[in-house]
Amino acid sequence: MPAICMYFEVHQPFRLNRFSVFNIGENFNPFEVYFNHKLNKVLFERAVRKCYLPTNKLILELIEDTDRNFKVSFSLTGTFMEYCDALAQEVMRSFQDLVETGCVSLICETYYHSLSSLFEDLSEFKEQVEMHRNAIRSRFGYEPKVFRNTEAIYDNRIAKEIERMGFKGIITEGTEKILGWRSPNYIYRPVNAPNLKVLLRNHRLSDDIAFRFSAVGWEEYPLTADKYARWLSSCEGEIVNIFMDYETFGEHNWPESGIFDFLYHLPREVLKYPNNYFVTVDEAVERFSPVGEIDVPFAISWADNERDVSPWLGNEMQIACFNELKEIGKMLKDKGDEDLLKLWRLLQTSDHLYYISTKGFADGEIHKYFSPYSNPYEGFINYMNILQDLRRKVEGGRL
Amino acid sequence: MKVAMIGWEYPPFKVGGLGTHCYWLTQHLANLGVKVDFYVPKRSRAINVKEKNLKVIEIGITKVYPYDRVEEGALEGDFFESVNTYNELCAEKIHGNYDLIHVHDWLTVKAGINLKHKLGKPLIVTIHSTEFDRSGWLNPNEYFINVEKEGMERADRVIAVSHYTKKVIVDNYGIPEDKIRVVHNAVNHVGEGKKKRKIVLFLGRLTIQKGAEFFLRAAKRVLEKEDCLFVVAGGGDMLPRLVDLSVELGIANRVMFTGPLTDEEVKHLYRIASVYVMPSVSEPFGITALEAASAGAATIVSKNSGVKEILKHCLTVDFWDTDEMANKIIALLRYDPLRRAITRNAKRDLNFITWERTAQKTLEVYREVV
Repeated sequence: MPAICMYFEVHQPFRLNRFSVFNIGENFNPFEVYFNHKLNKVLFERAVRKCYLPTNKLILELIEDTDRNFKVSFSLTGTFMEYCDALAQEVMRSFQDLVETGCVSLICETYYHSLSSLFEDLSEFKEQVEMHRNAIRSRFGYEPKVFRNTEAIYDNRIAKEIERMGFKGIITEGTEKILGWRSPNYIYRPVNAPNLKVLLRNHRLSDDIAFRFSAVGWEEYPLTADKYARWLSSCEGEIVNIFMDYETFGEHNWPESGIFDFLYHLPREVLKYPNNYFVTVDEAVERFSPVGEIDVPFAISWADNERDVSPWLGNEMQIACFNELKEIGKMLKDKGDEDLLKLWRLLQTSDHLYYISTKGFADGEIHKYFSPYSNPYEGFINYMNILQDLRRKVEGGRL
Repeated sequence: MKVAMIGWEYPPFKVGGLGTHCYWLTQHLANLGVKVDFYVPKRSRAINVKEKNLKVIEIGITKVYPYDRVEEGALEGDFFESVNTYNELCAEKIHGNYDLIHVHDWLTVKAGINLKHKLGKPLIVTIHSTEFDRSGWLNPNEYFINVEKEGMERADRVIAVSHYTKKVIVDNYGIPEDKIRVVHNAVNHVGEGKKKRKIVLFLGRLTIQKGAEFFLRAAKRVLEKEDCLFVVAGGGDMLPRLVDLSVELGIANRVMFTGPLTDEEVKHLYRIASVYVMPSVSEPFGITALEAASAGAATIVSKNSGVKEILKHCLTVDFWDTDEMANKIIALLRYDPLRRAITRNAKRDLNFITWERTAQKTLEVYREVV
């Protein structure tokens, strides 16, 4: 008799331009030259057309059709909102319409979808969370209660900081690594943050949609809404958290796959079971009490098979870039140069490190799917060249 | 199974990938229980082979000539004569109870065709390079193209050393795809052992195909930003022009031309080089990239090459894009984590790239026709 909590991550990175070693130190406007505006526009507009607009429209209809019993939650990254400002204000309006129904919660995260939570010094992390909280307040008049870190990266240290910042809940992966025999279908309490509630992603049921929906070889293929609703109703526990990328709808799974039909039928099929109902993340942390503690001394995430931070920091090239970012940050902090700070933060978006992952097959395919580079080495050279240029600009003092 | 294989070079007489390929292929086929009679032109010194199933049989008398494309003038001279005589002698002298005939490149195609007719056995042609590759796609010679085309048309199966070459064969010779099998070359590990220096290495015959000119133009750009030594190893007809070019570019003091080298000298260079560049205009395979990787050098290879199909951990570049080539050379020299990641991951790949596997795949092709 569980509650169903559906939550979608909506994110677009500012992908980088080809930047050669010969460009380092040249005189140019880095906001123009670092980022591949042409490619970014094409990819963003495709996502608007294939996912954001049609899926928002469908969800709005479903909320109305179910007498507001269908509920969802979103986290819109800061970079995504900047894309909307520049290229598609109608997308922002449609999210505002959704929030106005009262059936949609907004989740807070780092503005730049960054790995700043893994810096030794958490001050940058806090600033980015505040930036995002303010952006959500000003655009939606909404006060987020639940925090979800970049790709659900979580450890005790992050939980403690988020509790201090006044959030009620935090989202992470319901991985066996932290749960052991326990079920992800309950609310937990961080071992060191008694006032925070942890929502754990049910990865099996989430990935059934996000990764397996179009997998013809999967034994449960094709996945239908009534079958999925049956699985949900037979789950034991209090709450099933179904979290995924929003682009699951229309982009990762094309319309021809039937993903929109699935979504169209899902609320009604779920609500056919008298004990099933939808909740937003905000309602979930209000309604349920923790049944136990979780202790996460090492960072986990919802990505790849390892469910740790190895997709971004799994090889020495990634670590070299990450260290370089941190070094530049130290030099920047006291300068008070807003432009350089903005550039540094745009370069913190975790996707840039994700493209440099060299992991083996299963995950490698997924890394490849998202990457604008032909291989991770190209990604490293490009990113590192840009970081070298930024370092030079920072050392030089100004743009 | 008994195979008549007709080759052109065999260690210690070898100039290119063809000789290396024939040597290891025959050794491993013999290990797999295939009886191989390997025919080769008689040279000044005898070839010693101690392998149960493998016989190396020398036919005719010829001097050592380069296997690669010859200067236009030489077509009328000794080289052309030698190839013709060798092919005629093979066709005439080879008898016996063979299950199939296997020949390599245009050099031995004619003998293959005649023997197929004479013995009534299936013919396999391996293409290590086409006239288009050797000419760098500039003025390919009709004569060679026709010989290659006839050989592939008459063959029961064509073995290409890469998918890259397969595409050339389909697109430029009109050979149906279903007759072509891709069997990649392999490598004998050179092994590390020497301390790496700031050396960027080119190694190959100095012909238009191998693109040494682009290497020098990239070197010029690199030297604007980094101090390092460029080594151009190998001999060939373009050597004087390349030396002139290095002077013209003002980089002669940072470029070393070695001329032709012994195997041991080559290994030494692989071991001390940090970066190996293979900027070929058109490279059917490119065994040298595997050799360099096996010695711990990070490799940059031409996008027009076959080796990148199996060496995933390398950087690729358009041979003409010398600025990008320089960008990648500098990145490898500057960013240690990049160079270490590439060399370490490449070495893992190399464990699966063995001549035994090449021989097994070749044997599978044999079984299709016997």
